[in-house]
Order: sequence, then structure tokens, then C-alpha cells
Amino acid sequence: MKFSSAIPRRKFLKIAAMSGTCLALGYVSVFGEEPKIVNLDLENGNAESELNPFIYIDTDGKITLLNHRPEMGQGTFEAIPMIIAEELDVDIANINIMPSPADRGKYGDQMVVGSQSIRRNYELMRRVGASAKEMLIIAAAGKWNIAAEKCYAENAMVINRSTGAKLSYGDLVADARKLKAPDNPTLKQAKDFKIIGKSLPRRDIPAKLNGDAQFGIDIEVPGMLYASIERSPVLLGKLISFDDTKAKAVTGVKYVLKTQREVFGQVRVGLAVIADNYWAALQGRKMLEVKWDNGDLETWTTQKIKDDYIDASRKPAEVFEQKGDFDKTFNDAPVKIEASYETPYQTHAPMEPMNAIVSVKKDTCEFWGSTQNPNGMKDFLSKKYKVPQDSVKINYTLMGGAFGRRSLTDVVEEAADLSKQTGTPVKVIWTREDDLTQGPFRACSLNVCRGAINKDGNLVSLEHKVICQDIRNQSGNNSKPTDGIAGGINTEYAIPNLRINGVLRKFYIPVSYWRSVYHSTNCFAHESFIDELAYAAKKDPIDFRLSLLKNHKRYTGVLQKVAEKSNWYSPRETDTGKGVAIVERSGAFVAMVAEVKRLQGKIVPTKIIAAIDCGTPVNPDIIRAQTEGCIVMGLTSTYKSGLTIDKGKVVEQNFNTYKMLRIEESPAIEVHVIESSEQPEGAGEPGLPTVAPALTNAIFELTKKRIRALPFKLEEL
Amino acid sequence: MPEYTLNVNNKNYKVDVDQQMPLLWVIRDFVGLKGTKFGCGISQCGACTIHLDGTPVRACRLPVTAAAGKKITTIEGISENIDHAVQKAWIEMQVPQCGYCQSGQIMSAVALLKNKPKPTDADIDAAMRGNLCRCGTYQRIRSAIHRAAELI
Repeated sequence: MKFSSAIPRRKFLKIAAMSGTCLALGYVSVFGEEPKIVNLDLENGNAESELNPFIYIDTDGKITLLNHRPEMGQGTFEAIPMIIAEELDVDIANINIMPSPADRGKYGDQMVVGSQSIRRNYELMRRVGASAKEMLIIAAAGKWNIAAEKCYAENAMVINRSTGAKLSYGDLVADARKLKAPDNPTLKQAKDFKIIGKSLPRRDIPAKLNGDAQFGIDIEVPGMLYASIERSPVLLGKLISFDDTKAKAVTGVKYVLKTQREVFGQVRVGLAVIADNYWAALQGRKMLEVKWDNGDLETWTTQKIKDDYIDASRKPAEVFEQKGDFDKTFNDAPVKIEASYETPYQTHAPMEPMNAIVSVKKDTCEFWGSTQNPNGMKDFLSKKYKVPQDSVKINYTLMGGAFGRRSLTDVVEEAADLSKQTGTPVKVIWTREDDLTQGPFRACSLNVCRGAINKDGNLVSLEHKVICQDIRNQSGNNSKPTDGIAGGINTEYAIPNLRINGVLRKFYIPVSYWRSVYHSTNCFAHESFIDELAYAAKKDPIDFRLSLLKNHKRYTGVLQKVAEKSNWYSPRETDTGKGVAIVERSGAFVAMVAEVKRLQGKIVPTKIIAAIDCGTPVNPDIIRAQTEGCIVMGLTSTYKSGLTIDKGKVVEQNFNTYKMLRIEESPAIEVHVIESSEQPEGAGEPGLPTVAPALTNAIFELTKKRIRALPFKLEEL
Repeated sequence: MPEYTLNVNNKNYKVDVDQQMPLLWVIRDFVGLKGTKFGCGISQCGACTIHLDGTPVRACRLPVTAAAGKKITTIEGISENIDHAVQKAWIEMQVPQCGYCQSGQIMSAVALLKNKPKPTDADIDAAMRGNLCRCGTYQRIRSAIHRAAELI
């Protein structure tokens, strides 16, 4: 479950070698139709200023960095250019940033998932900047007819060490771009960083304060029609018949058409009302009379799934990891603990409802919208409509949140299908009800844990069994789960006898990637259970963890940091409880302490303190912001809301029933970013998994009540 | 369909729409100002917050007829150069992440500070509790409102 963090050298060389020719690909500026930053005319040839696919410098010295990572709030719009600018030696305040085209050949895979943007691109982006800088230095040395070693670069100038003469990058670009990109550019020493490590303000922020920022839902295309789609309330029902007479009588409604979307191998049908404005499409949809064949899907309830999971927990499990002999040591131990933990389905609920515009023509396809996966959109449209990749244009915008939901192609499939049928560009906008009830969702789970303490008070055996659906195995007859479902179970604790296993379940309900994925469910169970074991061993929960992680510097570092910042070892104030939890996600280590208080008889989460070690912090404030965001999202899924199933349908329809944390409920949050010179790791998700166990462990300390099912109701404690 | 004259950010717009159409869709799709956002359609999330004669309202449930003869202010009308105290404080505290809900957050915050130039935390809770943020920027919103109060 670990990845090598090295960037394949081959990939870098390929990207560097592609400089020189500029593919004619368009884009939509994230800053609206009148780009406020820059409009590099890639289609009509700005090739003269292209130093490599990421760096454009024109002859009057204007520098533009292309950012190949779509922005959903995670801050890579600022952080990726920071890394390039560091090695290029330019003042980041004076450069322009614009989104790159969707082009896997030039930019590698651009999908923003799994907190990978910085960790997978750090070295590559440094090389991109350093290689361009070396080309500029060689060009200057050529002009001065001296050795390149006698020059250095600073603030977009190359300087002659002997004479002090200077040439600007703009003066050098014409010569530099004819040079071969160096294979092994020299990278800076961390001590020489001027940009990396600084909390520079995000330059996508001003446009988000006055309505200029353009999200997918804001795009308009000439001739475009709007669609709202009625879908089976039980997710996989079959469309028997419909009467669209009344829908078509609504002013503005043009068509009522069948459509479909595939989600992880299962085709889900819908009936689209298409109108010349969205409100009319919504009104028309309300007038539809549709008959669905729901089969036996209406028998499904949350309780039925729970019963199924309990039953499945007794079936043979797939073993993902084991050491020692769990069964024997467990049976022989004097103190045995068993506990089961439940988590519900969750919804992504990005504030921007799902949407897509697609125009399918005979020989071309074009997409406009907010996506985490621009290459995936291109692949999908190219394959489905048999159009070469070069004839598929992907215009990706800022995303109004995503959390995993925007990595799929299902909404683009609906829009493309409707465009094909109508011969016009079609914009599909999901309602919030569509979003909450149609999924895909974060999987629900049952986690069954067993552990044993020996006579010396040491944890000797632990088994963690996961029962859930598997994102990567949702249809067909294969009953083996992948090890993905065990994500977030800590294998670093020094436990001599360990077994991690799982049982796969398959249902009609689609599941998908949700911020931190299986870490969000498994860490709740695992870190709650470790807490139960700590109490069983009569040890302090932080000391207990530290004793099991003696050789792990980074876990120890974050644990000690939160212990210090939360005054963990000081006597508790009256009516106060504290709880701790740790996790590793996307290479980053997080420890979290939650504090709860009993105020006027009610339990209130008052403070969350987190420490995150994600290696070299490229922009510490963005890491703090991501962790704050993870905590708020984690609190919603811990004690505000989950999705429940009744009569085969999702019960929660909108934000009146799927309640999310509001400002007055948001506790004080303190995030400590650990100083480090290690390889940077992901920061978008690691702050989420520990929220639930830290909070429930804190509630246990205060009330001695152990919470083993999410979401719980604070008011019922 | 009836024609309505709407005054949006001190400019008059003539729109020809169904009388039940909510202001949200009129502003976005007929006036053409996209800063006001669709989030839930049932006045639960606040992404569509605008000012009607200076009072914050949710545009997603307000029919166009309710705006007749009133002054509508949207996020685009808050300042010419992103220099309203609230916008400046939002930059200083680096509030937005995805930014989608922030139009509504700012409209609620501007109205709050107009009524209560030095709001307490309880005032902030009361004025801002109708605005959801899935990215979780609440703590920064609170700090930024206090900061904006200093800047005004």
C-alpha cells in the first residue's frame, strides 16, 4: 500500500523533450471570459515564448507558468507554480499563472485525487524550473562567449559573475529555446529556498471574492440548452414508461429524452427534460409522470445492510496482512477485547452541484466544466464518440469543491449523450437532491476488531476485519476484495501478532472515492480500538501509542507535538475530556487531540489540535487550511450526518436533512505543521480520518461512554 | 411572459421570465451575473445570498416578483476593485478554498457589519449560520469578520 516517491526520470525527459512544439489546444481561463491574468494564445501560436510546456517567457520578459493541476480548493494553483518559480529563480509575485491544457502527453496524468499533486510533482516541477534556468544561463554564456559556470541566475536575470553584466530572461528566451533541455539540471539546496516553505497568499483568492471566478456551472456556450434529469429513486430501477405531455407544455421545454450514465460498471438510466433555461427544465421535470420497475430493490434498508454485514463478518475473510500467530496468542492471552464499529454511507456534497457541458459533433467533442480528471474526460469522449484525442477539447474550470466526486465521468456521459441526441451543446446541472440521493457514495462499513493484552500489560495480538463494498470491485462475480478496503489501518504499531482482513459485499448502491477514502472509516475503528486497548492495559492513550511506535520518528514527532500543544499531561479542567488519534495518509503523518467539555449538561467539542508532518511544507498556510477543512468535514461525518437507506432509497434529500457543520458549531482549530526537509507528501486528506476517533476517544474520557457507530448524536450523550 | 425591470447593482435590466422564477436563476441566466451561486435550492446553504434593499436574502426561493421596485445587490456590486473591508480581510486571512460559497459568505458578512460594526462571536454565529462551507473555512471567516470590523 505504499508508493515509491521517486519521479521516473524517463517521464521528466519526455516532458522536457516535448518543448518546442506547441499543440493547438484551448482553455477556459479560470478568471472568466475576460482573463484578468493573461491570455496566452496557444491556438494561434505563442510558441516563440515557450521554453518548455510549463514555462512561457516572452521577449519583453513576461513570464507565464502553466499549471497542470486542476484547482478544487486544495491550493495547487499557487503551490505548483511556487515550486517551478523557486528553481527558475523568478519572483513569483511577477509571474502569471494559467491552467495548462488537458494533455497527458505533455503534462502527465492530471487527475487530482489522493492528495498527490505536490508529492508526485515536487521533483518534476523543480526539474522543469531548473532545466529552463540552465538553458537561459547557457544562452547568456553564449552571448557573452564565456563558460556557463561564470554565470548565475537571480530574479529573472542571468548575471555575469566577472563583470556583473545582466541579461533578462526575456532577452535570452529566443536563444534558450533552441537548446536541448539538460537531462540532469542542478537543483537548489533547501537552505537556498526563497519561495518553497513560505505561506504566500493564494492568487486564486481575489477572483473568488467578487464573482469573477468561473466554475463549471457558470459557463455558457452559444446555443446551449439546459437539462435536468429524473432518475430512478432506487438507483438501479428500470424505466417502464413515462408521460411527458405536461412537461412539454412548460414554456421553454424543448425535449424529453432518455439518457444514462455508467457508474463502476452499472448503467443507470434517467429521463432528461431539456429546455432553453434551467428553471424551465426543473419545472418540466416536476411535471413528468414516470413509472419505474424497482424490482426488489425497495426491500433494502440501512438495517438490512447492517444485518448482511454482521452475517458476512462470520464468513471467511481475505487476509491482507499478517504476522505472528493471531489466533493462538489471542486465545492464550489473559485479557481479550472485542469491539465492532460502524460507519454510514457518506455524500461528497461539494457546494457546486455536479454539472457538465458537452458538445458532440460529427468529428469533434468539447467539454466545459469542473473536473478532477481532465484526461479521463478526454479519454471517455474520444472512445465513446470515436473521435481522435486531438479533436476532443477539454475546458476545465475551477471546481466548487470535489472531494473525489468530480473524478468520475458519469455526468459528462449524460451531457454528451444529450448533446448527441439534440445536436446542440447541453449543460446538465444536478440538483442538490440528485447529488445526495444518486451517489456514488463513500462506502459504509462494519469493522470487527479483536485484541489481547498479555500478563505484563502489553498488546500482543490484534485483528482488524473490514466488511464493506469495494470501490474497485463493484460488479461481476469476483468475490475477492482488494487491499484498498484496508486503507488507514495502522501497520506501524509494534504488535507481534497482527491480522488485517476483509470481506467484500456487493450491492446496487454505488460507492466511490471520498476525501481520504477507506482511511475515513477504518481509522475510526482502528484508533478507537487502540484507545480501548490502552484503557484495558491501564495506560495513558498517548503513552500507549508512543510505546508501540518507538522506532517511528514521524509518528512520535506528531504525537509529542499534540501532547505538548494540548497540555495533554496536565490535569484536566472540570468537565473536560481529551482524546487522541493518529493516521498516515498519502505519506503524511497526523496526530490529533480533540477536547470536549460538558457545558450546561451538553457535550460540546471545543477544540481540535492537529500536528501534520507532510515532509517539506511547500506552503504551510495552505497545509493548515487543508487540515482545518478536513476537520470540519470530519466533524460533519462524525456527529452531524450520514446517509440512511429506506425502501431502497437514500432518505436524506437536501441540507435540511443532511446537516453539515455550521459556523457556530465549528470548534477552535489549531494546526501545527512540522518543519521538515523530507520529500513533500499529500496534505489534502490526512487531517480527516483522525477526527472521529479523536473526538469519540475524548467523549469516552469524559463520560466513559464508548461510541462505536457513526454518526452519533451529540444531544443524545 | 411578463417583463420585469430589475435594479441590480444600480443598473436596470429588463427580463422576460416566468413570474415564479426565483431571483437566483433570473440573476444568473437572464441578467448574466454568475457570482450568485446555486447550492441547494431550498434556502439551506446561503450560496445564493444577495441583498434586497440592503437586507440579505436567499435568492433561490424568492420569486422575481418579490424584487420589483427594490434594489438588488449581488457580489459583483460590493466594490469596484475588491477593496471592500470584508474583501480585504478575506484576502488577509486567506479565507477561500474552493471559493464557491464565498459570494454568499461575503454578502452575509457585509450585511452583518453594516448593522453591527463591531460584532461579537455570537453576532457572527447568528448572521453567518445560514451559510454552509463544505471546505470548512469557518474559523477563518470568523477571524476575517473581526478583522474587517477593524478595517472599516
